[in-house]
Amino acid sequence: MNQSQEERFERRLALKAHIDMTAESSMESIIATQLRIGVVISIVLIAIGSVLLFMNGGSGGIPITEIASSNSPVNSASFNPATAVADLAGAQALGFIFVGLGVLIITPVIRVAMSVLFFFDHGNWLYVAITLIVLTDLLFAIFIVPSFVPRVVTGPTAPG
Amino acid sequence: MSIILTFIAMLLAGIGAGVLGALVGLGGGVVIVPVLTLFFGVPIIYATGASLVSTIATSSSAASAYVKDRITNIRIGMSLEIATTAGAIVGALLSAWLFMNHLTNLIFIIFGIVLIFTIVPSLRKLSIERHPSVAARPDKTTRTFQLYGKYEDQSIQGSDKHVVYFGVRWWLGETIMLFAGIISGLLGIGSGVLKVLGMDWAMKLPIKVTTTTSNFMIGVTAATGSAIYWALGYIQPFIAASTAIGVLIGSFVGSRMLVGMKGESVRVLFLVVLGIVAIEMILRGIGVA
Repeated sequence: MNQSQEERFERRLALKAHIDMTAESSMESIIATQLRIGVVISIVLIAIGSVLLFMNGGSGGIPITEIASSNSPVNSASFNPATAVADLAGAQALGFIFVGLGVLIITPVIRVAMSVLFFFDHGNWLYVAITLIVLTDLLFAIFIVPSFVPRVVTGPTAPG
Repeated sequence: MSIILTFIAMLLAGIGAGVLGALVGLGGGVVIVPVLTLFFGVPIIYATGASLVSTIATSSSAASAYVKDRITNIRIGMSLEIATTAGAIVGALLSAWLFMNHLTNLIFIIFGIVLIFTIVPSLRKLSIERHPSVAARPDKTTRTFQLYGKYEDQSIQGSDKHVVYFGVRWWLGETIMLFAGIISGLLGIGSGVLKVLGMDWAMKLPIKVTTTTSNFMIGVTAATGSAIYWALGYIQPFIAASTAIGVLIGSFVGSRMLVGMKGESVRVLFLVVLGIVAIEMILRGIGVA
Protein backbone atom coordinates (compact mmCIF):
# COMPACT_ATOMS: atom_id res chain seq x y z
CA MET A 1 0.00 0.00 0.00
CA ASN A 2 1.25 3.48 -0.79
CA GLN A 3 0.86 6.47 1.47
CA SER A 4 -2.50 7.73 0.21
CA GLN A 5 -4.04 4.25 0.09
CA GLU A 6 -2.98 3.69 3.67
CA GLU A 7 -4.50 6.98 4.74
CA ARG A 8 -7.78 6.16 3.02
CA PHE A 9 -7.82 2.75 4.71
CA GLU A 10 -7.26 4.36 8.07
CA ARG A 11 -9.94 7.00 7.48
CA ARG A 12 -12.46 4.38 6.48
CA LEU A 13 -11.80 2.38 9.64
CA ALA A 14 -12.06 5.53 11.75
CA LEU A 15 -15.48 6.19 10.25
CA LYS A 16 -16.58 2.62 10.97
CA ALA A 17 -15.27 3.03 14.53
CA HIS A 18 -17.56 6.02 14.95
CA ILE A 19 -20.63 4.24 13.53
CA ASP A 20 -20.08 1.02 15.50
CA MET A 21 -19.29 2.65 18.82
CA THR A 22 -22.41 4.82 18.56
CA ALA A 23 -24.57 1.77 17.94
CA GLU A 24 -22.88 -0.28 20.66
CA SER A 25 -23.19 2.36 23.36
CA SER A 26 -26.95 1.82 23.52
CA MET A 27 -26.36 -1.90 23.94
CA GLU A 28 -23.90 -1.24 26.74
CA SER A 29 -26.49 0.74 28.68
CA ILE A 30 -28.96 -2.14 28.54
CA ILE A 31 -26.27 -4.62 29.50
CA ALA A 32 -25.07 -2.48 32.42
CA THR A 33 -28.60 -2.46 33.82
CA GLN A 34 -28.84 -6.22 33.39
CA LEU A 35 -25.51 -6.74 35.19
CA ARG A 36 -26.50 -4.49 38.05
CA ILE A 37 -29.83 -6.28 38.47
CA GLY A 38 -28.06 -9.66 38.41
CA VAL A 39 -25.54 -8.66 41.08
CA VAL A 40 -28.17 -7.05 43.32
CA ILE A 41 -30.51 -10.08 43.15
CA SER A 42 -27.60 -12.40 43.85
CA ILE A 43 -26.20 -10.46 46.80
CA VAL A 44 -29.67 -10.04 48.34
CA LEU A 45 -30.31 -13.81 48.09
CA ILE A 46 -26.89 -14.62 49.56
CA ALA A 47 -27.44 -12.13 52.40
CA ILE A 48 -30.91 -13.54 53.18
CA GLY A 49 -29.44 -17.05 53.15
CA SER A 50 -26.66 -16.03 55.53
CA VAL A 51 -29.11 -14.46 57.97
CA LEU A 52 -31.37 -17.55 57.81
CA LEU A 53 -28.36 -19.77 58.43
CA PHE A 54 -27.69 -18.08 61.76
CA MET A 55 -31.36 -17.70 62.71
CA ASN A 56 -32.14 -21.37 62.10
CA GLY A 57 -28.79 -22.65 63.33
CA GLY A 58 -28.37 -24.64 60.15
CA SER A 59 -30.19 -25.63 57.00
CA GLY A 60 -32.11 -28.70 55.88
CA GLY A 61 -31.19 -30.67 58.99
CA ILE A 62 -27.48 -29.91 58.65
CA PRO A 63 -26.16 -28.10 61.74
CA ILE A 64 -24.42 -24.75 61.21
CA THR A 65 -21.20 -26.09 62.74
CA GLU A 66 -20.91 -28.55 59.87
CA ILE A 67 -21.79 -25.97 57.20
CA ALA A 68 -19.32 -23.43 58.57
CA SER A 69 -16.40 -25.80 58.91
CA SER A 70 -13.51 -25.03 56.54
CA ASN A 71 -13.33 -28.68 55.60
CA SER A 72 -17.09 -29.03 55.36
CA PRO A 73 -18.40 -31.68 52.97
CA VAL A 74 -21.31 -29.31 52.25
CA ASN A 75 -20.48 -27.63 48.94
CA SER A 76 -21.85 -26.79 45.52
CA ALA A 77 -21.68 -30.44 44.41
CA SER A 78 -24.20 -31.38 47.10
CA PHE A 79 -26.69 -28.77 45.89
CA ASN A 80 -29.69 -30.24 44.08
CA PRO A 81 -31.20 -27.78 41.55
CA ALA A 82 -34.40 -29.88 41.45
CA THR A 83 -35.27 -28.89 45.01
CA ALA A 84 -34.16 -25.25 44.68
CA VAL A 85 -37.68 -23.83 44.49
CA ALA A 86 -38.83 -25.89 47.46
CA ASP A 87 -35.74 -24.77 49.38
CA LEU A 88 -36.57 -21.12 48.76
CA ALA A 89 -40.24 -21.60 49.66
CA GLY A 90 -39.22 -23.44 52.80
CA ALA A 91 -36.80 -20.61 53.76
CA GLN A 92 -33.83 -23.00 53.69
CA ALA A 93 -30.61 -21.02 54.19
CA LEU A 94 -28.48 -23.11 51.84
CA GLY A 95 -31.13 -22.87 49.11
CA PHE A 96 -30.90 -19.06 49.21
CA ILE A 97 -27.11 -19.02 49.24
CA PHE A 98 -26.75 -21.51 46.37
CA VAL A 99 -29.42 -19.86 44.23
CA GLY A 100 -27.77 -16.48 44.90
CA LEU A 101 -24.36 -17.82 43.87
CA GLY A 102 -25.98 -19.43 40.84
CA VAL A 103 -27.53 -16.12 39.79
CA LEU A 104 -24.07 -14.55 40.08
CA ILE A 105 -22.56 -17.14 37.71
CA ILE A 106 -25.45 -16.89 35.23
CA THR A 107 -25.30 -13.06 35.07
CA PRO A 108 -22.35 -12.87 32.60
CA VAL A 109 -23.86 -15.74 30.59
CA ILE A 110 -27.02 -13.69 30.04
CA ARG A 111 -24.83 -10.77 29.05
CA VAL A 112 -23.16 -12.84 26.32
CA ALA A 113 -26.52 -14.21 25.13
CA MET A 114 -27.88 -10.66 24.86
CA SER A 115 -24.80 -9.65 22.84
CA VAL A 116 -25.59 -12.36 20.27
CA LEU A 117 -29.03 -10.82 19.75
CA PHE A 118 -27.55 -7.35 19.49
CA PHE A 119 -24.95 -8.25 16.86
CA PHE A 120 -27.67 -10.18 14.99
CA ASP A 121 -29.89 -7.11 15.04
CA HIS A 122 -27.07 -5.03 13.56
CA GLY A 123 -26.23 -7.58 10.89
CA ASN A 124 -22.68 -8.00 12.20
CA TRP A 125 -22.42 -11.67 11.24
CA LEU A 126 -18.76 -12.08 12.15
CA TYR A 127 -19.57 -11.00 15.69
CA VAL A 128 -22.71 -13.12 15.82
CA ALA A 129 -20.41 -16.08 15.11
CA ILE A 130 -17.70 -14.97 17.57
CA THR A 131 -20.21 -14.36 20.35
CA LEU A 132 -21.86 -17.72 19.68
CA ILE A 133 -18.46 -19.41 20.12
CA VAL A 134 -18.05 -17.67 23.51
CA LEU A 135 -21.59 -18.70 24.48
CA THR A 136 -20.82 -22.27 23.42
CA ASP A 137 -17.73 -22.29 25.66
CA LEU A 138 -19.87 -21.09 28.58
CA LEU A 139 -22.64 -23.62 27.97
CA PHE A 140 -20.03 -26.35 27.52
CA ALA A 141 -18.59 -25.46 30.94
CA ILE A 142 -22.04 -25.40 32.55
CA PHE A 143 -23.70 -28.46 31.01
CA ILE A 144 -21.13 -30.76 29.38
CA VAL A 145 -18.04 -30.59 31.62
CA PRO A 146 -19.96 -31.60 34.80
CA SER A 147 -20.92 -34.89 33.14
CA PHE A 148 -17.31 -36.05 32.95
CA VAL A 149 -15.65 -34.52 36.00
CA PRO A 150 -15.64 -36.36 39.32
CA ARG A 151 -17.33 -34.56 42.18
CA VAL A 152 -15.61 -33.72 45.42
CA VAL A 153 -18.69 -34.72 47.43
CA THR A 154 -16.91 -35.99 50.50
CA GLY A 155 -15.26 -32.63 51.05
CA PRO A 156 -11.66 -31.70 50.52
CA THR A 157 -8.92 -32.22 53.03
CA ALA A 158 -6.56 -29.42 53.81
CA PRO A 159 -3.39 -29.65 51.76
CA GLY A 160 0.04 -29.95 53.31
CA MET B 1 -13.87 -18.71 67.46
CA SER B 2 -17.64 -18.77 67.33
CA ILE B 3 -19.29 -19.28 63.97
CA ILE B 4 -20.75 -15.80 63.65
CA LEU B 5 -17.33 -14.31 64.40
CA THR B 6 -15.79 -16.50 61.71
CA PHE B 7 -18.39 -15.24 59.25
CA ILE B 8 -17.73 -11.60 60.19
CA ALA B 9 -13.96 -12.14 60.03
CA MET B 10 -14.23 -13.62 56.53
CA LEU B 11 -16.55 -10.77 55.51
CA LEU B 12 -14.01 -8.23 56.79
CA ALA B 13 -11.19 -10.11 55.05
CA GLY B 14 -13.22 -9.87 51.86
CA ILE B 15 -13.71 -6.13 52.36
CA GLY B 16 -9.97 -5.70 52.97
CA ALA B 17 -9.12 -7.72 49.89
CA GLY B 18 -11.57 -5.74 47.80
CA VAL B 19 -10.20 -2.38 48.99
CA LEU B 20 -6.58 -3.46 48.58
CA GLY B 21 -7.29 -4.95 45.17
CA ALA B 22 -8.98 -1.80 43.92
CA LEU B 23 -6.22 0.47 45.28
CA VAL B 24 -3.37 -1.38 43.59
CA GLY B 25 -5.39 -2.01 40.46
CA LEU B 26 -5.68 -5.75 40.91
CA GLY B 27 -8.76 -7.84 41.51
CA GLY B 28 -9.72 -9.01 44.98
CA GLY B 29 -8.85 -12.60 44.08
CA VAL B 30 -5.08 -12.34 44.36
CA VAL B 31 -5.57 -11.05 47.91
CA ILE B 32 -8.44 -13.19 49.17
CA VAL B 33 -6.99 -16.58 48.19
CA PRO B 34 -3.81 -16.12 50.31
CA VAL B 35 -5.83 -14.62 53.18
CA LEU B 36 -8.28 -17.55 53.26
CA THR B 37 -5.59 -20.21 52.98
CA LEU B 38 -2.83 -18.71 55.12
CA PHE B 39 -4.92 -17.06 57.86
CA PHE B 40 -8.17 -19.01 57.95
CA GLY B 41 -6.74 -22.42 57.10
CA VAL B 42 -9.29 -22.87 54.32
CA PRO B 43 -8.37 -25.62 51.81
CA ILE B 44 -7.02 -24.08 48.62
CA ILE B 45 -9.87 -25.33 46.42
CA TYR B 46 -12.52 -23.74 48.66
CA ALA B 47 -10.46 -20.53 48.67
CA THR B 48 -10.18 -20.42 44.87
CA GLY B 49 -13.89 -21.26 44.57
CA ALA B 50 -14.93 -18.40 46.86
CA SER B 51 -12.49 -16.06 45.13
CA LEU B 52 -13.68 -16.81 41.61
CA VAL B 53 -17.37 -16.16 42.35
CA SER B 54 -16.38 -12.93 44.13
CA THR B 55 -14.53 -11.92 40.98
CA ILE B 56 -17.78 -12.15 38.99
CA ALA B 57 -19.51 -9.85 41.47
CA THR B 58 -16.82 -7.17 41.34
CA SER B 59 -16.41 -7.36 37.57
CA SER B 60 -20.14 -7.07 36.94
CA SER B 61 -20.68 -4.17 39.30
CA ALA B 62 -17.59 -2.32 38.04
CA ALA B 63 -18.71 -2.85 34.44
CA SER B 64 -22.01 -1.17 35.14
CA ALA B 65 -20.13 1.79 36.65
CA TYR B 66 -17.76 2.10 33.69
CA VAL B 67 -20.49 2.02 31.10
CA LYS B 68 -21.48 5.63 31.35
CA ASP B 69 -18.00 6.60 30.19
CA ARG B 70 -18.55 4.57 27.00
CA ILE B 71 -14.94 3.42 26.84
CA THR B 72 -15.37 -0.36 27.03
CA ASN B 73 -15.00 -1.99 23.62
CA ILE B 74 -17.39 -4.95 23.65
CA ARG B 75 -16.34 -6.09 20.17
CA ILE B 76 -12.66 -6.41 21.05
CA GLY B 77 -13.55 -7.90 24.43
CA MET B 78 -15.82 -10.50 22.89
CA SER B 79 -13.30 -11.50 20.23
CA LEU B 80 -10.74 -12.19 22.96
CA GLU B 81 -13.25 -14.05 25.14
CA ILE B 82 -12.99 -16.97 22.72
CA ALA B 83 -9.53 -17.63 24.15
CA THR B 84 -10.17 -16.70 27.79
CA THR B 85 -13.24 -18.94 28.13
CA ALA B 86 -11.47 -21.86 26.44
CA GLY B 87 -8.49 -21.24 28.71
CA ALA B 88 -10.71 -21.09 31.80
CA ILE B 89 -12.11 -24.54 31.00
CA VAL B 90 -8.58 -25.94 30.66
CA GLY B 91 -7.44 -24.18 33.85
CA ALA B 92 -10.38 -25.38 35.95
CA LEU B 93 -9.90 -28.96 34.74
CA LEU B 94 -6.18 -28.69 35.43
CA SER B 95 -6.99 -27.59 38.98
CA ALA B 96 -9.30 -30.61 39.38
CA TRP B 97 -6.56 -32.92 38.09
CA LEU B 98 -4.02 -31.47 40.54
CA PHE B 99 -6.50 -31.88 43.40
CA MET B 100 -7.32 -35.48 42.56
CA ASN B 101 -3.63 -36.34 42.34
CA HIS B 102 -2.91 -34.68 45.71
CA LEU B 103 -0.79 -32.02 44.05
CA THR B 104 -2.55 -28.97 45.54
CA ASN B 105 0.83 -27.82 46.87
CA LEU B 106 1.66 -26.99 43.27
CA ILE B 107 -1.31 -24.59 43.17
CA PHE B 108 0.26 -22.66 46.08
CA ILE B 109 3.59 -22.45 44.28
CA ILE B 110 2.06 -21.39 40.94
CA PHE B 111 -0.09 -18.86 42.77
CA GLY B 112 2.96 -17.32 44.43
CA ILE B 113 4.88 -17.13 41.17
CA VAL B 114 1.92 -15.60 39.28
CA LEU B 115 1.48 -13.08 42.11
CA ILE B 116 5.13 -11.97 41.84
CA PHE B 117 4.81 -11.58 38.07
CA THR B 118 1.62 -9.61 38.69
CA ILE B 119 3.28 -7.16 41.05
CA VAL B 120 6.17 -6.25 38.75
CA PRO B 121 4.08 -4.66 35.97
CA SER B 122 1.90 -2.99 38.60
CA LEU B 123 4.98 -1.34 40.09
CA ARG B 124 6.16 -0.30 36.64
CA LYS B 125 2.73 1.04 35.74
CA LEU B 126 3.10 3.64 38.48
CA SER B 127 5.74 5.41 36.43
CA ILE B 128 4.52 4.87 32.87
CA GLU B 129 0.87 5.62 33.51
CA ARG B 130 1.13 9.26 32.55
CA HIS B 131 2.69 8.71 29.16
CA PRO B 132 0.06 7.94 26.56
CA SER B 133 1.05 5.07 24.31
CA VAL B 134 1.71 5.83 20.65
CA ALA B 135 -1.35 5.10 18.52
CA ALA B 136 -0.96 2.02 16.37
CA ARG B 137 -1.46 1.98 12.60
CA PRO B 138 -4.10 -0.58 11.62
CA ASP B 139 -2.93 -3.97 10.35
CA LYS B 140 -4.78 -6.78 8.56
CA THR B 141 -6.38 -8.15 11.73
CA THR B 142 -7.66 -4.66 12.58
CA ARG B 143 -9.98 -4.82 9.58
CA THR B 144 -10.80 -8.54 9.68
CA PHE B 145 -11.81 -8.54 13.34
CA GLN B 146 -13.08 -4.94 13.47
CA LEU B 147 -10.56 -3.98 16.14
CA TYR B 148 -11.27 -0.29 16.23
CA GLY B 149 -13.10 2.12 18.42
CA LYS B 150 -13.51 5.63 19.64
CA TYR B 151 -13.92 7.28 22.99
CA GLU B 152 -14.02 10.69 24.59
CA ASP B 153 -11.04 11.63 26.76
CA GLN B 154 -11.85 14.54 29.07
CA SER B 155 -8.19 15.06 29.91
CA ILE B 156 -7.39 16.13 26.32
CA GLN B 157 -6.92 19.87 25.88
CA GLY B 158 -8.79 21.45 22.97
CA SER B 159 -12.21 21.12 21.40
CA ASP B 160 -11.91 17.62 19.90
CA LYS B 161 -11.69 15.20 22.79
CA HIS B 162 -12.37 12.12 20.69
CA VAL B 163 -9.74 9.43 20.42
CA VAL B 164 -9.93 6.96 17.54
CA TYR B 165 -7.81 3.85 18.07
CA PHE B 166 -6.92 0.63 16.32
CA GLY B 167 -6.03 -2.74 17.78
CA VAL B 168 -3.33 -4.78 16.05
CA ARG B 169 -1.83 -8.30 16.26
CA TRP B 170 -5.08 -10.02 17.17
CA TRP B 171 -3.41 -13.45 17.18
CA LEU B 172 -0.85 -12.32 19.76
CA GLY B 173 -3.57 -10.86 21.97
CA GLU B 174 -5.54 -14.07 21.62
CA THR B 175 -2.54 -16.19 22.63
CA ILE B 176 -1.97 -14.16 25.79
CA MET B 177 -5.70 -14.38 26.56
CA LEU B 178 -5.54 -18.17 26.40
CA PHE B 179 -2.94 -18.09 29.19
CA ALA B 180 -4.99 -15.51 31.10
CA GLY B 181 -7.94 -17.91 30.94
CA ILE B 182 -5.90 -20.89 32.11
CA ILE B 183 -4.50 -18.92 35.07
CA SER B 184 -7.99 -17.69 35.96
CA GLY B 185 -9.46 -21.21 35.95
CA LEU B 186 -6.49 -22.72 37.76
CA LEU B 187 -6.07 -20.14 40.53
CA GLY B 188 -9.57 -18.69 40.90
CA ILE B 189 -8.51 -15.14 40.05
CA GLY B 190 -9.55 -12.68 37.34
CA SER B 191 -6.02 -12.51 35.87
CA GLY B 192 -6.67 -8.91 34.85
CA VAL B 193 -2.95 -8.12 34.67
CA LEU B 194 -2.42 -10.68 31.90
CA LYS B 195 -5.49 -9.40 30.09
CA VAL B 196 -4.20 -5.84 30.27
CA LEU B 197 -0.82 -7.05 29.00
CA GLY B 198 -2.53 -8.70 26.04
CA MET B 199 -4.43 -5.60 25.00
CA ASP B 200 -1.97 -2.90 26.02
CA TRP B 201 1.35 -4.43 24.96
CA ALA B 202 0.31 -6.92 22.27
CA MET B 203 -2.61 -5.13 20.64
CA LYS B 204 -1.48 -1.55 21.32
CA LEU B 205 -4.85 -0.42 22.62
CA PRO B 206 -5.12 2.75 24.75
CA ILE B 207 -4.80 2.04 28.48
CA LYS B 208 -8.30 3.33 29.29
CA VAL B 209 -9.85 0.98 26.76
CA THR B 210 -7.63 -1.84 28.01
CA THR B 211 -8.56 -1.61 31.68
CA THR B 212 -12.32 -1.25 31.17
CA THR B 213 -12.46 -3.97 28.50
CA SER B 214 -10.34 -6.27 30.68
CA ASN B 215 -12.88 -5.83 33.47
CA PHE B 216 -15.70 -6.68 31.06
CA MET B 217 -13.89 -9.87 30.09
CA ILE B 218 -13.11 -10.95 33.66
CA GLY B 219 -16.79 -11.59 34.46
CA VAL B 220 -17.29 -13.90 31.49
CA THR B 221 -13.99 -15.74 32.09
CA ALA B 222 -14.74 -16.18 35.79
CA ALA B 223 -18.27 -17.42 35.06
CA THR B 224 -16.80 -20.17 32.86
CA GLY B 225 -14.38 -21.33 35.55
CA SER B 226 -17.01 -20.99 38.30
CA ALA B 227 -19.46 -23.24 36.45
CA ILE B 228 -16.87 -26.02 36.47
CA TYR B 229 -15.85 -25.27 40.07
CA TRP B 230 -19.53 -25.60 40.94
CA ALA B 231 -19.75 -29.10 39.50
CA LEU B 232 -16.49 -30.08 41.17
CA GLY B 233 -17.80 -28.94 44.54
CA TYR B 234 -15.23 -26.15 45.00
CA ILE B 235 -17.83 -23.66 46.16
CA GLN B 236 -18.41 -23.93 49.91
CA PRO B 237 -21.54 -21.85 50.69
CA PHE B 238 -20.40 -20.42 54.03
CA ILE B 239 -17.00 -19.26 52.76
CA ALA B 240 -18.28 -18.14 49.35
CA ALA B 241 -21.19 -16.16 50.84
CA SER B 242 -19.10 -14.20 53.34
CA THR B 243 -16.29 -13.60 50.84
CA ALA B 244 -18.47 -12.53 47.91
CA ILE B 245 -20.39 -9.96 49.96
CA GLY B 246 -17.14 -8.69 51.53
CA VAL B 247 -15.15 -8.36 48.32
CA LEU B 248 -18.04 -6.60 46.59
CA ILE B 249 -18.31 -4.02 49.40
CA GLY B 250 -14.52 -3.66 49.54
CA SER B 251 -14.00 -3.05 45.85
CA PHE B 252 -16.86 -0.54 45.85
CA VAL B 253 -15.23 1.40 48.70
CA GLY B 254 -11.72 0.98 47.27
CA SER B 255 -12.56 2.32 43.83
CA ARG B 256 -13.99 5.45 45.44
CA MET B 257 -10.98 5.87 47.71
CA LEU B 258 -8.77 5.62 44.64
CA VAL B 259 -10.27 8.78 43.15
CA GLY B 260 -9.21 10.91 46.10
CA MET B 261 -5.87 9.20 46.73
CA LYS B 262 -2.73 11.07 45.72
CA GLY B 263 0.26 9.42 47.31
CA GLU B 264 1.66 6.54 45.31
CA SER B 265 3.80 5.45 48.24
CA VAL B 266 0.68 3.82 49.69
CA ARG B 267 0.30 1.72 46.57
CA VAL B 268 3.97 0.79 46.63
CA LEU B 269 3.60 -0.31 50.26
CA PHE B 270 0.61 -2.50 49.39
CA LEU B 271 2.50 -4.05 46.50
CA VAL B 272 5.41 -4.86 48.83
CA VAL B 273 2.95 -6.52 51.22
CA LEU B 274 1.62 -8.56 48.32
CA GLY B 275 5.18 -9.56 47.50
CA ILE B 276 5.59 -10.96 51.00
CA VAL B 277 2.27 -12.79 50.61
CA ALA B 278 3.53 -14.29 47.34
CA ILE B 279 6.64 -15.64 49.07
CA GLU B 280 4.48 -17.04 51.90
CA MET B 281 2.37 -18.88 49.34
CA ILE B 282 5.44 -20.40 47.71
CA LEU B 283 6.88 -21.43 51.09
CA ARG B 284 3.56 -22.99 52.03
CA GLY B 285 3.57 -24.90 48.76
CA ILE B 286 7.08 -26.18 49.34
CA GLY B 287 6.08 -27.14 52.84
CA VAL B 288 8.42 -24.81 54.72
CA ALA B 289 5.79 -22.50 56.27
